[in-house]
Amino acid sequence: MIEALLMAHVLFGVACLLAALWVFVDVLHASAGNLVRIRAVSWLGAASMWIAFFVGGYWYVTFYKADKAIILQGPWHFAHNMVMETKEHVVIMLLLLATFLPIAAMDNLATSNDARRLVLWVAAMVAVLALAMDGEGGIIAMGVKVGLLSK
Amino acid sequence: METTALSKRSIAFGLAAAVACVVNAGIVVVKEKSDAVMAGMKKITGHHWTTHSFIIIALFLGLGLLLGVVRGGRGIEMTARRLIHILVSAVAVSAATIIGFYLFGD
Repeated sequence: MIEALLMAHVLFGVACLLAALWVFVDVLHASAGNLVRIRAVSWLGAASMWIAFFVGGYWYVTFYKADKAIILQGPWHFAHNMVMETKEHVVIMLLLLATFLPIAAMDNLATSNDARRLVLWVAAMVAVLALAMDGEGGIIAMGVKVGLLSK
Repeated sequence: METTALSKRSIAFGLAAAVACVVNAGIVVVKEKSDAVMAGMKKITGHHWTTHSFIIIALFLGLGLLLGVVRGGRGIEMTARRLIHILVSAVAVSAATIIGFYLFGD
């Protein structure tokens, strides 16, 4: 069950990342023909991020204490002290930006250059932060593995 | 026909996101440096991170709704260039503050 929660957290986080990339590329070619799709994928990305946030948050608050102890007993202390501490707070900014993406995408991207530019920036920041969170998650998992192997 | 204006909704929630990001980084520093603040945040919801998240999300949503109705419902006027500047700067400075704090300050 715990593993399923973590896998769901990663799955929905990656879905948010892919949605942001999709929106970015689609907005580069925004027209009346793809506005509905851009907005739908934006909402999908935001929904994915909220699910990833709640699932990951529940796991962090409920189960992370055991992993933290293993990490701190092993040689990769930074996996908690630096990486997890950073991840748990930067991810809140990712949630805000992912939520803002569909709001910004509600403007008429087919006719407004300014609206397109704003959505491109927001989608790019969502993609970069989501990729960073994914990488940090990998380092934290590796910190647990290294901690267990060093016992 | 090409238009340039952003909707008041985009400006309001864009500014709210920028403010919430900066406050997010500020809370990180304050709660990690003050045992009393950390203990208080733990007491409210049972975990400091849950309280932290709730404050930031509520700030974003509340401020976004509020900024959209100021000036008699007309919202805040701002160019896209300025909004993008503010939002990207806020995200970059906040992320750098959080990373820098856990690298050097904690």
